[in-house]
Amino acid sequence: MQRFIERHPVWSLVILIAAVFLLWLILAEWPRGLVAFAGRKKVFLNALLNGITLGGLYFLVASGFTLIFGLMRNVNLAHGSLYLFGGYIGYTVATASNSWILSFIVAFIAMAVLGMLLQVLVFRRMEGEELRQTLVTIGISIVLADILLWIWGGDFYQIETPDWLFGAIKLPIITAVKSSGDAVYMKYPLVRLVILAASIVIGVAMWLALNKTKIGMMIRAGVDDRDMLSATGIRIQLVFVLVFAFGAGLAGVAGVVGGTFQSLAPGEDTRFLLASLVVVIVGGMGSIPGAALGALLIGLSEQFGSVYMPTYAVVLTFLIMVLVLAFRPQGLLGSRG
Amino acid sequence: MVTVAERLSAAGTAHALELLDVSRFFGALSALAEVNLQVRSGEKRAILGSNGAGKTTLFNCVTGDFLPSLGRIRFFGEDVTNYPPHERIRRGLRRTYQISLLFHGLTVLDNVYLACRGVSRGRFSLLRPRRDDALFHSAEELVEAVHLTAVRDSLVAELSYGQQRQLEIALALAGAPRFILFDEPAAGLSPTERSELIEILQSLPGHMGFIIIEHDMDVALRVVESVTVMHNGRIFKEGSPEEIESDPQVQELYLGGGHG
Amino acid sequence: MAAIDQETSQSSVAQTSPRRAQLPAWIENTHPAFWLLALFLLFLPAFANDFFQFQIMGWTFILGMIALSLMFLAGYGGMVSLVQMTVAGCAGYMVAIFGTSAADAISLQWPWWIVVPVALAIATAFGTISGALAVRTEGIYTIMITLAIAAAFFYFTRQNYVIFNGFSGFNQIRAPVVFGIKWNDATPFYYLTLFFAVLSYAVVTYVSRAPFGLALQGIRDNPRRMEALGFNVTAHRIAAYAFAALIAAVAGILLTWQNGQISPGTAGIGAVIDILVIAVVGGLRRPIGPFIGAFIYVLLRTFALDILTEVGLDPKRFKLLIGFGFLAIVFFSPDGVLGLWDRWRARQKARSISSASGDSS
Repeated sequence: MQRFIERHPVWSLVILIAAVFLLWLILAEWPRGLVAFAGRKKVFLNALLNGITLGGLYFLVASGFTLIFGLMRNVNLAHGSLYLFGGYIGYTVATASNSWILSFIVAFIAMAVLGMLLQVLVFRRMEGEELRQTLVTIGISIVLADILLWIWGGDFYQIETPDWLFGAIKLPIITAVKSSGDAVYMKYPLVRLVILAASIVIGVAMWLALNKTKIGMMIRAGVDDRDMLSATGIRIQLVFVLVFAFGAGLAGVAGVVGGTFQSLAPGEDTRFLLASLVVVIVGGMGSIPGAALGALLIGLSEQFGSVYMPTYAVVLTFLIMVLVLAFRPQGLLGSRG
Repeated sequence: MVTVAERLSAAGTAHALELLDVSRFFGALSALAEVNLQVRSGEKRAILGSNGAGKTTLFNCVTGDFLPSLGRIRFFGEDVTNYPPHERIRRGLRRTYQISLLFHGLTVLDNVYLACRGVSRGRFSLLRPRRDDALFHSAEELVEAVHLTAVRDSLVAELSYGQQRQLEIALALAGAPRFILFDEPAAGLSPTERSELIEILQSLPGHMGFIIIEHDMDVALRVVESVTVMHNGRIFKEGSPEEIESDPQVQELYLGGGHG
Repeated sequence: MAAIDQETSQSSVAQTSPRRAQLPAWIENTHPAFWLLALFLLFLPAFANDFFQFQIMGWTFILGMIALSLMFLAGYGGMVSLVQMTVAGCAGYMVAIFGTSAADAISLQWPWWIVVPVALAIATAFGTISGALAVRTEGIYTIMITLAIAAAFFYFTRQNYVIFNGFSGFNQIRAPVVFGIKWNDATPFYYLTLFFAVLSYAVVTYVSRAPFGLALQGIRDNPRRMEALGFNVTAHRIAAYAFAALIAAVAGILLTWQNGQISPGTAGIGAVIDILVIAVVGGLRRPIGPFIGAFIYVLLRTFALDILTEVGLDPKRFKLLIGFGFLAIVFFSPDGVLGLWDRWRARQKARSISSASGDSS
């Protein structure tokens, strides 16, 4: 942090001013001129919160993708299929058992097992052959998409929010002041906030596990130097399988999350695959903090885009990607080479 | 800087290659530390040193395979420090690689032809060259110069190790090089191939200077007029072959287990 | 240039032998089967019906050209670009926007001889810019970035109504009438697509041994060494994207004429992946591969429904069939159908040699 300020004093100042301005936007009562220019504060706050929570969902999907890539250089283009598959399984479990929590567990385990199979049957056989791996995962995603369509059909599914998370929560943020002088407080669906909190917890836990535990540090060293990892005596293949399983399981969990606050339908697999691609391209391949930053940026840009410039929301997302590629091809937090 | 270069070249003393306080760090490791090196135009020089002395890193900085962390590099008076490799090559710099970097799916002639093409116009030409193409002729001559005419149309993958090393040299001689960096050209060669290599190096025109990295003192000292010894990323000693050979410090460095 | 003006390097023996007759080398070097195929294709309209000419062969040639542009980048340049279908779609959209379509409010109704060059130029520029973005990274990133660009184009055309007419796209786009020939009729269209398919095939084959193509293959094998030979690797790669984009753009215009319409789905994610499947199934090593892949794909696409029903399976499972077929190819023959063919030939040759030596002993 201190080093960043020393090295980029101008940027630090810009970031600081932007942060203060954002804080003011969130906390202050908006003056009339601003409302006339940018619309009601409630719309802004909603876009902001939706963007952040969507970013949380994107992070869940993309972090697994980036974790797998970071350690094994495996590009798993079937990652979106794992998301949708996990979501469908979660839906089926949730409707059958009426337990939201159980649906997470089952989706995680099912996708983790599928991930293990992928690692053992596909990736291990084609180690080092990136193109073939990519092609095979494309083939698998085509096959999976059709199988999912076969089983669950083309309908939209939504996983019901459990009672204890249902409804909105009043946030200590004023959206407007009534003529009577009473303040109107921001209300926001509780379930989204819980999911956001959960994804932050997962993200921080992953970061800690990779940076602060001994095995995590060895895995990270392995990312830079394969030979070193095997030299440390870690059973590298076992690590690979477990990391793959964890990443795939996360995609399944994300599917349940997505099914709860959005919906599940054919095509969502590609949507989330693309979202993960863009997130990791922007954030930096193989970097967990990068995935978090990328997910936040993309989530925000999608939400603000769809509120303030509906036709060009996609272009905004895309523009971010182009700018990053043009000026920092390795991604915002990615390392070179 | 340009004026300095102009002045130097006007005085006829322009250096072919000039390194000013060049350092290169890999993380905390410094592979090159404040290296200052001047090589006259047409000068033939050897760089000796144990593994890890920074010789190949020096080459990589000069050719632009990676940029130096600090310092400037001048090529015939022109500051090329931040130029991409291909810009330096087009200015007459060439190099060979320690591990042969050749195009295994192409024929010997195609390899040399590409090298000739790389430093001439028409790199983007969509038209196939005609049989009487001048570049094609110079490629054939080069193939002959390194004694590979017999395997001209063979794929590089089918060549012997020695032949591949010779092809490396042909690639470096393509175009009109002004200065060449040879990275251990004799490594792994048989005695016959070795003497052929020495012959080729000795037959290079006088204006064509080079630096050669070579472990084999016998090869190196027969083809050069000056020697630089590197140790731990620094210049350790400079002098004529005779001076270096008889230098007690150098001998100690070489015999005292610096090797390896 | 002995090595350079040949298809493959093995035939150098033929080069050193004194030249017979006055036939140009390229005729001598072409396998007789090629001439048979050429004759067959030339006279195909004499015995094939309109559906076969227009729908099967026309579509094969068009998809083959788009896949060929991918093959050029992937096979010679080592860059697997998924943006080629999008370039084709972009050209198609330009034809609809500048030319004539049912969407009067948008289409500018310019004459075809302005529309076609403009569409080619814009689509080529689009492909080149995409390439310039993609070459900033290497290897496997290329697939991801080009896929993201393709997706952005798809979503953008779907949301934008002012220029791209949103979800519905454009209808009633026809090939022009030139020299009194209705090029949208089955037989003229067949010859039109045949002409451009053969042209692009020939150009790719030719360029692959010209300095530009040779250097591209050098870059595929060893970019660092190419830099050290004086080649600007980045510029060369971008130029390759431009070259491939032009081929895809031509195919995109033909595709729009053939369909009579263009909509976001034309260059949707599915279509983008299909082009990759076609190129890989056919084989990425040689320019003929994409056309073989396209022919297989078109046949499956057209008849799989009937066949599946015939066999008693659900015709809706067509995608599953394609997916498994693709997986089988990637798993067992990375060089596609062409690879299978090469292996079979090699085995035949080995057998005949061993039997010949058996006779002589």
